[in-house]
Amino acid sequence: MMPTWPAAPPAPGVTPSNTYTTTYSAAPAFTPVPVRQSFAQPYGNPTSSRSPTTTNHSDQADDQSKKKIDWPESVRQYVQRSFLPANLEPTISRPEMEAKLKETITHATERGIMFALDWDTMPLPQELILEDRARMAAVSISLPSHGGSPNSASKKRKSGDLTDRAKLASPPPWRAGQGARLEDRVTYTNKDKRPTVDEPADNTSKLNKYEKRQKRFNGGYTSTYRSPSPPPCDGPVVGTCQDLEKRYLRLTAPPKASAVRPPSVLRQTLELLKKKWKKDQNYSYICDQFKSMRQDLTVQRVRDEFTVEVYEIHARIALEKGDLGEYNQCQTQLKALYKLGLKGKPNEFKAYRILYFIHTANRTELNNALADLTAAEKKDEAIKHALDVRSALALGNYHRFFQLYNETPNMGAYLMDMFVGRERLAALCNVCKAYKPDVPLRFVTEELYFETDIEAAQFIIDHNGQELLQEKEGTIMFLTGKAGQTFESAKKQAFSRVDIKGQI
Amino acid sequence: MASTTTSQKPITTSDSKPEDPQQKPTAALEEDDEFEDFPVDDWEAEETEAAAGGTGTNTQHLWEESWDDDDTSDDFSNQLKEELKKVEAARKR
Amino acid sequence: MEFGNHLYREFEEAWEANNGYRLAATINPDLSAAQLGKIHQSIDPDSGNWKASQEDNVKGSIKRGLQSTSIRTRGFDNDEIKGWTDVYFAYWTVTGTLARARAQGPSSQVSLQLLWTEVFEQWKKFVNALVQGYNNYGFEAWTIPCLYVAGKYLRLFAMQADDERSKNPSENDSANAFQDDFDPETDKHQKLEDCARVLNRVFSVCLNDRAPLEESRKWGIYFIINLLFKTYFKLNSPSLSKNVLRILTAGRGDMPDFYSFPRSQQVTFKYHEGVLNFLEENYAEAEKHLTEAWGLCHKDAIRNKELILTYLVPCRLITTHTLPTEKLLEPYPRLQRLFLPLCRCIKKGELHAFDLALQEGEDEFVKRRIYLTLERGRDIALRNLLRKVFIAGGFMPAAEGEKPVRRTRIPVAEFAAAISLGSQERLDNDEVECLLANMIYKGLMKGYISREQGKVVLSKSGAFPGTGV
Repeated sequence: MMPTWPAAPPAPGVTPSNTYTTTYSAAPAFTPVPVRQSFAQPYGNPTSSRSPTTTNHSDQADDQSKKKIDWPESVRQYVQRSFLPANLEPTISRPEMEAKLKETITHATERGIMFALDWDTMPLPQELILEDRARMAAVSISLPSHGGSPNSASKKRKSGDLTDRAKLASPPPWRAGQGARLEDRVTYTNKDKRPTVDEPADNTSKLNKYEKRQKRFNGGYTSTYRSPSPPPCDGPVVGTCQDLEKRYLRLTAPPKASAVRPPSVLRQTLELLKKKWKKDQNYSYICDQFKSMRQDLTVQRVRDEFTVEVYEIHARIALEKGDLGEYNQCQTQLKALYKLGLKGKPNEFKAYRILYFIHTANRTELNNALADLTAAEKKDEAIKHALDVRSALALGNYHRFFQLYNETPNMGAYLMDMFVGRERLAALCNVCKAYKPDVPLRFVTEELYFETDIEAAQFIIDHNGQELLQEKEGTIMFLTGKAGQTFESAKKQAFSRVDIKGQI
Repeated sequence: MASTTTSQKPITTSDSKPEDPQQKPTAALEEDDEFEDFPVDDWEAEETEAAAGGTGTNTQHLWEESWDDDDTSDDFSNQLKEELKKVEAARKR
Repeated sequence: MEFGNHLYREFEEAWEANNGYRLAATINPDLSAAQLGKIHQSIDPDSGNWKASQEDNVKGSIKRGLQSTSIRTRGFDNDEIKGWTDVYFAYWTVTGTLARARAQGPSSQVSLQLLWTEVFEQWKKFVNALVQGYNNYGFEAWTIPCLYVAGKYLRLFAMQADDERSKNPSENDSANAFQDDFDPETDKHQKLEDCARVLNRVFSVCLNDRAPLEESRKWGIYFIINLLFKTYFKLNSPSLSKNVLRILTAGRGDMPDFYSFPRSQQVTFKYHEGVLNFLEENYAEAEKHLTEAWGLCHKDAIRNKELILTYLVPCRLITTHTLPTEKLLEPYPRLQRLFLPLCRCIKKGELHAFDLALQEGEDEFVKRRIYLTLERGRDIALRNLLRKVFIAGGFMPAAEGEKPVRRTRIPVAEFAAAISLGSQERLDNDEVECLLANMIYKGLMKGYISREQGKVVLSKSGAFPGTGV
């Protein structure tokens, strides 16, 4: 089976690592994020900023870099197989193969799926290259510009399309023998005691947002990974292609003008895509189309407010879908574009940056981000919110943290979803140590901003706390006094993935 | 180990070159945040801070506890007492 | 030193005395434009055989000069002659460019030729020639001070070149801004990054010397590492510094003892090691290194001591909850301004004042990367505030012959009152409890919260550990 997309399919029976979590998760996932390294490695690599390597460069990501010593045997064999004389393809040069190998392996590293993939059945780089070429040849035939789904529809990854709404909306299973009647007793807690929230005690708005986020499918979607930059052109290409929709293809040679859409066309494309996104919510398609747009803008050296808009929209969509890799690429570009003085929503995205660095616990970048803020920016609503989140977490004020979580402007909540799980664990540890002999479960639900008592209970159970829930005179109590170290190791694990010293 | 090698080491005390005045523009590049080059390469134990300020570890006059029992004449403590009385009164009602 | 008998005699004498510093003086770039010009003109590139290239002529001249020294009979072999010829040729080349760069003066901001960039590139070649000398031409370890000069100026010229480029943006720069992932941040330190790569090679040269320790290039290791640290710090890449440390630790087995290196190198190294740990929030480790740097530092090196304290003070706040005394900060008005207000607020448990002081100094703190650490001082301030409540609560009536014990059951409301007073904002009880839970979790307060009773029950033996109650 030739994969449609460059990403290799996961081995059967193995789900690719989650790129994001829902608002609560048994195993809060660490998203290995390809944060671009600021410059090439000290040894050997050329200075050229034209072909930067994408490496994992969060503070602790040294182990995840593409050093050969970290590769599993299967990967090494894959590389060896690629270069067996019998497998070599005469029309494919060695540099091409090496580039493709690097790409494939880097992608796997960045997505944290290196060990999950079945390298034994992975198509060799030369196969992938041939397939690319075939597609490149095919793309010169224009795709229908209006209406209908593009030809690619039939080749879409089906798994990515599933939004298993039914499955997610039902309450999580309740273990037998643990008081099955809890479900009957659960009422939706109206958080009317919160003094500062500016929303009217309007359950629906909060529910909708929550529900919407809950309905994100888990796994399944694998974003396309970064392309290596196209080789430098002598001057910008001026595109003549009139097709509104165009599949994304990595460039291995300067593009023909007829394959590139001029900005006038792209503006129409953007409108079309906005409508399609609203209607179909098909992320893999949308992401692909946006990458293609970005590429067309890049090769034509278009850096204006339209470019900003494209990146901003793509970033927001990526955030909503928890695709941090894609989000991060857009974010990096936006930073550069804003720096050129282009108009857009720099404050919105600055706020996202701060939340993102909180998530990855990237101290260096967090410090940099703070150093970068002007007094005016600090007053901006979104940025102030992000700063308040940071400081609440820094001092362990989980109460304030969850209040802020509830009030997150723009799309920030999707980012916060990434680390709400671990912060809940931390808060739970605090509660267990400080409160004796017990607290009502309701307290946990409210303080830790669970939607329902069931959800709170499920979270506790997921972390081996089932013995700590006990009914007492009609109320479920959470027996903090007996908790001991129950949640500590889970917390440690959750934080160790981003190497936080368990600050909370 | 140090004793056998010190006599052999090729490095001797000397003065390194003073900063070239032409280099001053780089001060604008936040060089004032950088750890400075020492004007001399090496110095005796007597010239260290440890020797000058008391022994390195016994720095009692240099660091102090972070809490303070000097409450009684403190403005803030009085206010606290007032506030607490208010709370106590409110509870009793 | 101009090329000529004087230079070659000097070379000879340095050789005979194994005096690396004297040798290094012959390749020093820290000279005026006039001096450099003279050096450059002391060899006429057009003299000699008209068939030979300029380079050949210059090299030929240098080679002859080196060959003329008397040390030929004392182990100064052909390989070394070749190596040093290359080195001096590279040096000669840069003197010309450097003379012009210096001559143009700081006033000409707009530099059409980007002379400093050229200086940097040529100096880079010079450094590489030296590295070649050690790797391939058998340069001896006593000559290492040449590497010091080479490295030191590589860094300075790199910064100069980057600065020059920032004042003279060109089309070429924006051509790079063409790929989908261009990051203008990278470009700012282009030459400094380049410098880092070269310094790494120098580092390897020092590290990988197999000669016996007394004659080893390993004696240069800390000088070079310190240069690398400074470079990486400026590049804001602490993780790369960590790499260097890792490599160093791996090779430590057969290294000279750290304390036998010159104190200037020890202090500089320890400072950076301390700050690196600090940035990673390894405060205990950081404190160790910074304290050592402090103790070893020359007592008159005020600026450096100030830098050490800048990190040591926040460090100790976290590790031992101790504060600097006024006496400690007496020589450092800058640090007094930075820290004393915060310290006062912490001691008195004044939360609102603490917040104000933190905000007041925020820019300075953030710039030095100590903000996030100092922020945690609020926990100590809060602890002190709560402690005051505990003390204000007085004692409970004691039984006959028993020592009176302080009241340990304290309503949450009392703590809430104190916090409202201290922070000048009304917090709801749940948030107050959250703060109390934090204190307990962090071991700053011992006891537990009874939610049912709305009370905190403090431990009878040390409610606030380490504070005497």
